[in-house]
Amino acid sequence: MKLILYILVFLFGTASFAQNTAAFSQANALYNDGNYTEALSRYKSILEQEEHSAELYYNIANAHYKLNNVAPSIYYYEKALLLKPNDKEILNNIAYAKNMTIDAIEIIPEVGFSRLINKATNTMVFDNWAKLSVIFVVLFVLLFLMYYFSQSTRKKRLAFVTSLSSLVLAFVALAFAFNSYGLEQKNQPAIVFAQESQIKSEPNLRSAEAFKLHEGTKVQVIDTVSNWSKIKLSDGKTGWVVSNDIKMLKTF
Amino acid sequence: MKNLKHIWLLLLVLTSSMAFAQVKFEAKVSKTKLGQNERLRVDFTMNKDGDNFESPDFENFQVIGGPNTSVSNSWLNGAHSYAKTYSYFLAPQKQGRFTIKSASIEIQGVTYKTKAVTVQVTNAVKRPNDPYNVESVASENIHLVAEISKGNPYLNEAITVVYKLYVSPNTGVSNWRELENPRYNDFWSQKIDTKGLRIQNGKYKGEDYRYVVLRKTVLYPQKTGKLEIEPLKLDITVEVPTNRRDIFGGMHMAQTNRTVSAGSRTINVKPLPEEGKPDDFTGAVGDFKFNVMTSKSELNASESLRVTVEVTGKGNLKLFQLPKLTLPSSLEVYEPEHNESIRTYLGGMQGSIADGYTIVPQYKGKYPIPSISFTYFDLESETYKRVSSGEIIIDVIEGPVNTSSGDDNLAAANNNKKEVTFNNAQFAFIKTKANLKPIVANNFFKSTAFWSSLLSPFLLIPLALVYRKEKEKRNADVFGNKIRKADKLAKRYLGEAKKALGHKDTFYIALEKALHNYLKAKLQIETSDFSKEKIEEILIEREVNEPTVKEFISILEHCELARYTPITNVEMQQDYEKAASTISIIDKEIQ
Repeated sequence: MKLILYILVFLFGTASFAQNTAAFSQANALYNDGNYTEALSRYKSILEQEEHSAELYYNIANAHYKLNNVAPSIYYYEKALLLKPNDKEILNNIAYAKNMTIDAIEIIPEVGFSRLINKATNTMVFDNWAKLSVIFVVLFVLLFLMYYFSQSTRKKRLAFVTSLSSLVLAFVALAFAFNSYGLEQKNQPAIVFAQESQIKSEPNLRSAEAFKLHEGTKVQVIDTVSNWSKIKLSDGKTGWVVSNDIKMLKTF
Repeated sequence: MKNLKHIWLLLLVLTSSMAFAQVKFEAKVSKTKLGQNERLRVDFTMNKDGDNFESPDFENFQVIGGPNTSVSNSWLNGAHSYAKTYSYFLAPQKQGRFTIKSASIEIQGVTYKTKAVTVQVTNAVKRPNDPYNVESVASENIHLVAEISKGNPYLNEAITVVYKLYVSPNTGVSNWRELENPRYNDFWSQKIDTKGLRIQNGKYKGEDYRYVVLRKTVLYPQKTGKLEIEPLKLDITVEVPTNRRDIFGGMHMAQTNRTVSAGSRTINVKPLPEEGKPDDFTGAVGDFKFNVMTSKSELNASESLRVTVEVTGKGNLKLFQLPKLTLPSSLEVYEPEHNESIRTYLGGMQGSIADGYTIVPQYKGKYPIPSISFTYFDLESETYKRVSSGEIIIDVIEGPVNTSSGDDNLAAANNNKKEVTFNNAQFAFIKTKANLKPIVANNFFKSTAFWSSLLSPFLLIPLALVYRKEKEKRNADVFGNKIRKADKLAKRYLGEAKKALGHKDTFYIALEKALHNYLKAKLQIETSDFSKEKIEEILIEREVNEPTVKEFISILEHCELARYTPITNVEMQQDYEKAASTISIIDKEIQ
């Protein structure tokens, strides 16, 4: 009975998968014909099936770019980059899309030790760091047993040294995993969707306007109070914006 | 009869001479009702010369002139008339009814007194002059009027002030100069030049006049509330006709200078309604059209493009800001050039103002110029109106590709070393492989699987320690080892037989088979077809002790035998154990 259920689930899974892939290629054909709006609705239907990929987001973003929708195109490119951070085509096309944005925001480079740490942390996603730490732990245990059971002194010494170093490496990898996870939790990017959005100094309408942002600008959300979000720009400016004006990138 | 005639004549002559001889002394005032700011002339006239004239004390009046004495002697047809007048000019000091008391004079020894005269002094009158004065004539015939087009305009709504000088047909103006110019504080003002003075005919207070328009000014109130327009003051040289005539019978004109002013006027400026006032309202009031134009929509990088933001129409064009163009940061934009072509008419300013932006795109791509909107207050409908420009896309066809991407991830530090490499300088095509995955992602990190796989390997270490200890213990225990070995052998070969324990036939078949199997495994010989003697021989050859071999053979024999004899479970058990022990002994001894 259980087996049948599994088979059914598997079959249906593959059926819906095949269906979405078909929709994807249909949408691609529509895109190629210049029917960007229809292509978009096909792509979106795949998203509604709770399936996604960097490629899907990338294609949606391209269609939006062709339709001159500034904010949505940047939004979907950024989403694609979240899944595939080093894809060259995505990086190429997002540069085109960013040409359409209005705000010029400087990036304050990170310096010193924290930069090094972050750089190292970002070489892998936290899941991979976690896997790495597990591998090192297994390695440590094996080598330790080898040390314990082996007879010759030379072998014993080698096994001991390597096992201890792999234990250290396991902890380092674990630390990176935690750091990466923390950064990932802290990283809450959003895209400004309103054509022009007033950034206030306090989360209410009475307060003074701190600055203005235009559509397509990427911000970091660092706090939320009812329907206001505290945002931070890459040049360090902070302010409050009505949450409706921005769209969070990480809500898949 | 003749006498009667003479008597009449005599009577007439007598009475007339009597009348002639009558002394007259009387007071005359120029008017009995006068304004406080007017002058009063009092004449005391007598027809015989007298002495000791005593004037009254003129209570409530101030003597500003006099007494002037004038004497006139005239002979007319032989009749002599004489008059002597003492004149006083009086200025009333307050309002009310006042009595000028009698003056007295002594004529031929008799004291005469005038009658008291009552004069009423009223409020100050506008023209404290008498009509025969040149000044007053001038003031009556020349008027400066400021005509204001609207008394209660909106803020920034154009109003016009027209100054007209009305001159009555019988007076003339030979020259005029401005004494005081209105400064129009709180207004934006523009004077409209009037070329030459054109004399027009018009009516002033229902009478025919000639008039000239001296000046036209357009005003835009810059403040709400009651605003005063300062008067314009002119010094005019007026020619007034007098009743004297020159030798040709023409009227003699007297010249006088006169200051006229158009009285100060107050206008009430209404504020623009707050209701529905847009946030980006910059104060434009009037009727406008709004346009954003580009000189081209497609170009190559480093070519220039001109975007013009233009407002045309009627209203306070000089008094508001044009909306600013917001452009993508990747476009190079120069300071806008402001152009105004405005003409001011009586109705206000008309024309256009424009900001011209010169844009030089640096990189290839599409650049939207976002829609901008312009709001103004429409005076006709008295509402705010908004005109929006459409969005314009500038397509840069050829040029270098932007390699710097503006803002990026904050938390992720890899933005500093991001390799934004462009394998091709084109906008990349869509991807064709879907690689779809379910959206719901399960993170390995911090999951149970993660923690268990991270920590469980550590459990292996104590396990290994325990294992090793056990092993050492076992190695130390020789006897136990033997038993274990035998058990192992039995388990390996006699397992089948053990299972069949209790079923006589199957048990013994299995047991026999097991024994042969054992030999087969040990000696690599198929022994089931061999005779017992042969087996014995082989085993002895392999240095197995004689009794053990005997034992083994006996078990084999017993197996065959047992099939045909009744055997109890106990015997079966015994045979099994015997087989097991024999196998283990053989195993030890066999070489």
